[in-house]
Amino acid sequence: MSKAAEQSHTAGGSVLDQVGENIIHHVSNSSLDHPLIQLPHIWGIDLSVSKHVLMLWIVAVLVACSVIIPIRKYLQQDKPQPKGWMNVIEAVVKFIRDSIVQPNVGSKHVDTWAPIILTFFFFILFANGVGLLPIFDILGAFNRFILDIHAPPPGVEDHNFINSLLHGGATVTGNFNVTAGLATITFFAIMVAGSRTHGFINHWKNLAPPGLAWPVYIILIPIEIIGMFVKPFALTMRLAANMTGGHIAILAILSFMAIFADMFHSTVTGISVALFSIPMATAISGLEIIVVLVQAYVFTLLSAVFIGMAINVHH
Amino acid sequence: MENLHLFGVGLALGLIVIGAGLGIGRLAAAAAEGIARQPEASDKITGAVNLPLFLLEGVAILGEVFALLIVLMK
Repeated sequence: MSKAAEQSHTAGGSVLDQVGENIIHHVSNSSLDHPLIQLPHIWGIDLSVSKHVLMLWIVAVLVACSVIIPIRKYLQQDKPQPKGWMNVIEAVVKFIRDSIVQPNVGSKHVDTWAPIILTFFFFILFANGVGLLPIFDILGAFNRFILDIHAPPPGVEDHNFINSLLHGGATVTGNFNVTAGLATITFFAIMVAGSRTHGFINHWKNLAPPGLAWPVYIILIPIEIIGMFVKPFALTMRLAANMTGGHIAILAILSFMAIFADMFHSTVTGISVALFSIPMATAISGLEIIVVLVQAYVFTLLSAVFIGMAINVHH
Repeated sequence: MENLHLFGVGLALGLIVIGAGLGIGRLAAAAAEGIARQPEASDKITGAVNLPLFLLEGVAILGEVFALLIVLMK
């Protein structure tokens, strides 16, 4: 597959060295020095388009076409009657609104907070799912074996758009910067929720409930403040690590073929390891599908819980 | 001797798995017993188990991330 193209691409080193680099290459962003589209720096921030930025746009277009546009067309009917795909969307929206948003936020505020929770869920679900599809690997294999475009010899880096497009991972939520952005939205949503319900100052006063002995406050307030930052940080790392970890596991198992073939210097060993390696990689890919759904659900659930904790302050 | 950190990481990962396995196993056992006693409360019990389950899993994943960082950054 494209692994062969890349192994002739890195200069020298045994297979073991190349494998580690290859795996990290497949889950991280494209090279930041040579982005896909070079855009100017604005106030010191490099706006160039890297692989993950392109995937963000692709996921956004996908969500818009699959979810937003059908919902708008459905709502414009005279008597809305869902059919087909709209049924699925309605079932998902109902599930999230009734079992995630409403128990946590309370029925008074459901309509305020349901949209952002639903947005989180659909975006993370689609972003995780698109990361599982090996589109760019198939394109790379197509390039290499059918169109017969060989990788440049080691040392010569060919940095055009297509080449940068094929390198780097497609899982945009595996990049912890992306999930940090999502967690920042949750961080501010918690503050907005508390401020709108109780008033700006009361939201901060609610961190330390009244009626406790005063030495407790000395410990409680720093812990609450640290907790305020740790909760979105945990959201970030949980999603990013789950996505990256699954991909690294699949790639590592597939790399066993190359490693064993190199260790025993025979192709037959490599092919017979494939009899073990490929079913196992398939099984872990199946597990990855479950992880994709679960991680979208967990991020959504925890955001709703944290927002609910800011609105209903009962310990 | 210069790869001693790898030994530490291996040990750490094993301990993480033991911790997560014990914790989540206890949660699952309590949930199963609760549902066995009162099948009509099964939705509520599942809802109550969900949140701690994923918090525990998140802790385990965070540990694995730091272990991976130790391996990669020596």
